[in-house]
Amino acid sequence: MAKEHWSERLQRFDRRWIFLVMAVAVVVPLYLPLGLPAKPDPMTKAAYNAVEALPEGARVFVSIDVDPASTPETEPFYRAVVLHLKRKNAKLVFATTWYQAPPLVARYLRETVDVATAPAGTPGYSGPPDRPYVKNVDYVNLGFRDGRSAIIQAFGSDLRGAFDGRADDGTPLDQIPMMQGLSKLSDFDLIVLVSAGSPGAKEYVQYVGTRNKLPMVAACTAVSTTDLAPYFQTGQLIGLVGGMAGSAGYEKLVGRPGAGTAGADVLNIGTMVVIAAILFGNLVYFVGRYYRRRGGGA
Amino acid sequence: MKKTAPLVLGMVFGAYALAEFYIPHHTVGALSDEFRSWAAILSAAAFILGGINILQVTWPKIRRREDDWPYKVVLLAGAAVMLVVGLPWHRLGAKTSTPTVVRGAPAAGDRAVVTFDVADDVTYQVGNVTGAGRGRPVAVEVAPGEVEVKLSKRIAGYRPLTTKLTLAAGDTITVRGAPPMLWGRDGRVFNWIYDHIFGPANATLFALLAFFVASAAFRAFRARSVEAGLLLGAAILMLIGRAPFGGAISSVFPDVAQWLLDVPSNGGRRAIMMGAAIGAIATGLRVIVGIERSHLGSD
Repeated sequence: MAKEHWSERLQRFDRRWIFLVMAVAVVVPLYLPLGLPAKPDPMTKAAYNAVEALPEGARVFVSIDVDPASTPETEPFYRAVVLHLKRKNAKLVFATTWYQAPPLVARYLRETVDVATAPAGTPGYSGPPDRPYVKNVDYVNLGFRDGRSAIIQAFGSDLRGAFDGRADDGTPLDQIPMMQGLSKLSDFDLIVLVSAGSPGAKEYVQYVGTRNKLPMVAACTAVSTTDLAPYFQTGQLIGLVGGMAGSAGYEKLVGRPGAGTAGADVLNIGTMVVIAAILFGNLVYFVGRYYRRRGGGA
Repeated sequence: MKKTAPLVLGMVFGAYALAEFYIPHHTVGALSDEFRSWAAILSAAAFILGGINILQVTWPKIRRREDDWPYKVVLLAGAAVMLVVGLPWHRLGAKTSTPTVVRGAPAAGDRAVVTFDVADDVTYQVGNVTGAGRGRPVAVEVAPGEVEVKLSKRIAGYRPLTTKLTLAAGDTITVRGAPPMLWGRDGRVFNWIYDHIFGPANATLFALLAFFVASAAFRAFRARSVEAGLLLGAAILMLIGRAPFGGAISSVFPDVAQWLLDVPSNGGRRAIMMGAAIGAIATGLRVIVGIERSHLGSD
């Protein structure tokens, strides 16, 4: 029996070795950060500029359509954009169309809106300080509504009706001063979509964005970036933050490095491992093919 | 009738949904809002139907001890547990929403003193002053006047206790209380299950992708043809350009990745989206005019 060539052995090697290499690549940067700078891409810069251009006290609708799986990619952007909006004293209205999201939204509000996330004197932060927001004064949480694209259409024409005229805590929207004049999405100065899938940014663009000419920025997972990029190119989204790299870029623009920046190192090493796996896999493939053409093997 | 009624309803509402885009009258908009409310109600009702359907599908398989029946037991048990903890049981009992306030003997001084005698997992707020309980009394000096006092737990799932106090100079007040646990969607058990079971399990499944992508990159992503080679080259450039280290090597990589996204990727993606949209329009029209009947269960 002819001796097996090394390229043939490698083509069948135990894939658990790759899993091990990936595990090391993910864990090590968490403890030994490389600190490579995250450069914001043009779509992320456009999202930042859209928020930056808002007037003081602007009214912003934030739709948080995420689940726990997508939080590593979307939560850093959420935290950065909420700090950015709070620095502008924006009045915020939160909602979600994902049934998995309400406990996450409640935690986000507790950790980022009810308290100051970058008060004066925060180490490593030189931007304007934010302040704790007061529920139903500075922000309103409308909560969750099911209905996928139908409910997003309802937000576009009758936001109050879609939530039965009440905030998530039961307070009638008519009794909340900041909700005066806010009855549909086109009454807002900006729509911020933190979107991990469907329903999300795509449905907002298709069902209400274009029809009502809404200024919308979106953040999505890296795999959804190619889905949403055409909408940015056509101006239907005025900013797009894609994946952890985009979130890290937004954090850099806001001047408050967070989980996105820390995760960028993991992204760097993880990407290098994938590229190395592709190159190594092809090297083994071509060497094996060359060997077989030379008459080696079975 | 069983098929004709849904067919007619589909035709009428489908035609209306199409027509409302072209009739800018407020009554049409109001009617559309009403229909959308119906859609939201139907969508919510689908959750109930889904629950019944899961029971109908899995229970017989458990009884027959079919393959993987223990997993189906876990499924039903999980659904039952979430149903039980998701109901607001706390509404059945007496509602405690204010802390216990005990007034002590007045003391000298031009300020009032509010003492919080709360557990160390409770935070207090009096006016603009906030602090954490220490398991022993904590005194806070407050200017006379009306102030709001609030006791909250540090973790989600408990109802805060709030009250308003009118304080005079020299008043000494002791505030005690433990925020009661809530049930239902905002309750402690629901949140605990979400934070400690659903969240980690959901995130773990997604995180496994990194390992499978790396494995697939080695085993399957081969330049077997010119087209596959082009795809491979574009993918490597995109990976380098979108990761921060690409920009650190050279600004060319992010620019190339952006070009790939803006031109070839968006061009192809737009063609697919438009093709799919035209297909959806065609299917929608077939439903409206009654040609397409597969959604009614027919062949």
